[in-house]
Amino acid sequence: MYGRRASQLLKEIDSSEAGQLASFNSDVFDQVIRECNEHNSQFQSLIRKMVEQNLDIETTRNEDHYGAAIHHLSLLRNKRCLMAYMYNRAEVIQSFRWKVGPVLPHDIQEKLHFSEKEYFKNHSAAIKSYISEMDIDLTVDMVPPKDPYIQVRVLEDIGEVSLGDHSVSLTKNSLHFLRRTDAEQFVSQGLMEEFLE
Amino acid sequence: MSSWDDDETAASAAEAATTDVELLKRAWRNEKAAPEVLRFDSPLVSRVREQIQLLEETLDDFADSGVDDLVVSLYQMDLDRTLFLLRSYLRLRLQKIEKYTMHISRSDDLLSRLSPQERRFAKSCAEIMEKHLEQSVLSKLPYGYDSVTRQSLSSTEDDMVPEPQLDTFVFCKTKSDVGAFQLDDIGEEVVDLVADDLYVLRYKSIKGLVEGGRIDLI
Repeated sequence: MYGRRASQLLKEIDSSEAGQLASFNSDVFDQVIRECNEHNSQFQSLIRKMVEQNLDIETTRNEDHYGAAIHHLSLLRNKRCLMAYMYNRAEVIQSFRWKVGPVLPHDIQEKLHFSEKEYFKNHSAAIKSYISEMDIDLTVDMVPPKDPYIQVRVLEDIGEVSLGDHSVSLTKNSLHFLRRTDAEQFVSQGLMEEFLE
Repeated sequence: MSSWDDDETAASAAEAATTDVELLKRAWRNEKAAPEVLRFDSPLVSRVREQIQLLEETLDDFADSGVDDLVVSLYQMDLDRTLFLLRSYLRLRLQKIEKYTMHISRSDDLLSRLSPQERRFAKSCAEIMEKHLEQSVLSKLPYGYDSVTRQSLSSTEDDMVPEPQLDTFVFCKTKSDVGAFQLDDIGEEVVDLVADDLYVLRYKSIKGLVEGGRIDLI
């Protein structure tokens, strides 16, 4: 059945949770590409056959024409599925830049196709260049601020830090009540996390 | 006395900030609810950034002169919230540009709604996406089927570009009396829009009113 493999790719996108990526399915992907090229060569040979019989390609409606039409339409469907697969994955990759940051953790990187890794790098660079042109960091402050002070739990040993007019000893697993602006730089680096009861 | 002057400038800065912040909040809400990217309000954004800077300087002065902690935290809250609004406004726009990058790059009208930096970003986004799709899919497809925007050579128009759904329903509130308003092209549906009323309408019909500032999205 033509187009079945391509719909497998789409089912994969559909069944994965929002914002999550499955491993790039290069097996099915390559199979669909092969199918496309098959369709194309069948299509070309049917057209050639009609031309050899001196039939007008535009207007003749014989079994070869319909065969060619089926190959053409199947190819189009495969193309649409492939593009949708790549495009939807690219949208998830875009969201990673906002949610995770400019560097992806290893377990996500494993799931990406080579071109997707490049896409992420280039896309990150475009965002970075916009941020530096505007001189506002858009990757912080993702949630509306509720209090000027937040409670934080320190994840890694940072040591003595002077904040404002007093110094705080930031040892691992200690809880502190800090000003949001002071804590934000540590939170964004992953050295602290907001302590929500 | 210098402390009175500081207080006055701080107070007037806070007052002026309230009005502009209200405008920014409105622009932010509209942007959040609209399916397409709206016109970039460049003067508003510049003013807000100036006021943010003023607030930051005021806070630094407070820190030096030992003003009451409660007052400091109030100003800090105000600053935080304004900064959040500004960042979120810019972020919402960027994310819309990311999503509809090819559609935006082809439309002069949409491009004109972006700030110059956003235009540059949109252009890079479109190029990067095209390159990615070409590299991974299109270069392996047979000749005649390898266009990014068209399905094949036999397509009469660009039929592979995702576009925002302009006829989604949005909640909106009128600011002043608009009167009888035609909702669609044929003239069949006419709605009487009274001031300060809440409506749920298709975005496409009220697009012009939103641009003119006569109706707000919620």
